[in-house]
Amino acid sequence: MFEWVVRYLGFLKHIPVLPHLFDAGLKLISLFTHKNLSDHIDEIETEVLSWQHTHVSAHKYGGVQFNSTRHELGHIHGNGLLDILLNRHHKLLIISRYPVQDHHVFKNSGWISFWIRTPQDKQTAIALLRYVYELKLPQPKQQDLVK
Amino acid sequence: MEKDPSTKSRITTGILVGNLASVLLVGGSKYLVTYLEGLGTGNGSGIFVFSSFIIVPLLMGVISAWYWHPLQLKTKHYIGWSAVNTLVACLASFIFLREGVICLLIVSPLILLFVTAGALLGKILYNRKNNTLNSSLAGLALVVVMVDTFSDHKNVRLVSDTLIVNAPIEKVWPHVVAYKPITLKENYWLFKIGMPSPVESTVDGYEAGAGRKCIFSNGYVFDEKMIVYKPNEELTFDILTQPHDPEIMGHIDILRGQFLLKDNGDGTTTVIGNSWYKLYVFPGWYFNLWSESITRNVHLRVMQHIKLLSEEHV
Repeated sequence: MFEWVVRYLGFLKHIPVLPHLFDAGLKLISLFTHKNLSDHIDEIETEVLSWQHTHVSAHKYGGVQFNSTRHELGHIHGNGLLDILLNRHHKLLIISRYPVQDHHVFKNSGWISFWIRTPQDKQTAIALLRYVYELKLPQPKQQDLVK
Repeated sequence: MEKDPSTKSRITTGILVGNLASVLLVGGSKYLVTYLEGLGTGNGSGIFVFSSFIIVPLLMGVISAWYWHPLQLKTKHYIGWSAVNTLVACLASFIFLREGVICLLIVSPLILLFVTAGALLGKILYNRKNNTLNSSLAGLALVVVMVDTFSDHKNVRLVSDTLIVNAPIEKVWPHVVAYKPITLKENYWLFKIGMPSPVESTVDGYEAGAGRKCIFSNGYVFDEKMIVYKPNEELTFDILTQPHDPEIMGHIDILRGQFLLKDNGDGTTTVIGNSWYKLYVFPGWYFNLWSESITRNVHLRVMQHIKLLSEEHV
């Protein structure tokens, strides 16, 4: 159903508040279909917020978005779909190491998607977000290294 | 879910304040828009603008989340308490706004979705240090409620259904004008749980201008006047008075009904049933789904009865 809505009704995502309603609907349904999913997402949120300079916000197309200072690390939709943006090099690297897939909409982009269902998936999601977090950490300047 | 008294108190306060704000906004906008559109004389229930079922429940969720966020509740608890919030809102509507049970059953999924979305958005927003966005969102929501209240609210729709009767047109016509009590078993779920369904139709005379009565299962009577009476062709009637039940009927006015008959030339007749109604609840995209389904099932119940009576002696 999620795929169908994204494919045929995706254009509605630009209407304010509508994506958040859809996401709330996904969370409501997930309580019955994957009862531990919301706990997994909460635990991922708690873990990411324990890292320095991170915060969460509502993703513009629904879901919880994880940010590091000014960069988005990734976002999780109410049905447990984690989306992360990488460059081509890191995308290929991640695909070779983790059971991730091309983004559910933007196949030929730097985006990857990963479904969270089990406690193991939760750990993988945290590892993926940590990978991006470390990528986006400010690199120490040359003069700092000399010191 | 939580046992600490201060936790309980915060959760309860969130629910009560959220509901209080919604009662004020819904009640205020309802009476204001009913007054503005000059409908105080007709429909007893007034107009519920779309904000009443969309913006207000969203705000209700956001307000409740304001009280809940220091508790660091899990997402599933937010959803659970939003369900309780919805239940309290429905109960308050039942007691104070005198809404019917079926009406609340219809509207509750919409309210639950919006209250939950508001609470989950609030959960994220209030966890941020900067609350500027929260204030601007609340302001924006209030502006939408006001603009919606002062906007024009007209929602007149036509529902049309067709049925083939295996009888010649002259056998069908008399049962279209008036029919004896329907004995068919109810097969529409809303009729089964207590929504009134059509039972019988009677007429004062067989000409345009004559009165017609459509009697429903709970004794409700729709008084009608036949405005077009063309035997074997068309019967159109205006609804003069209709009951204002706390259920659906308080939120919808059936304006006109029509039966069109077409001779198919092979001993069968096509019966077309049309109804025009005006809705007093918004958003139309949601409530039209329900009112169309209800009107369609009223049509089909009557038309299947007409088919049964017409085919009896063929």
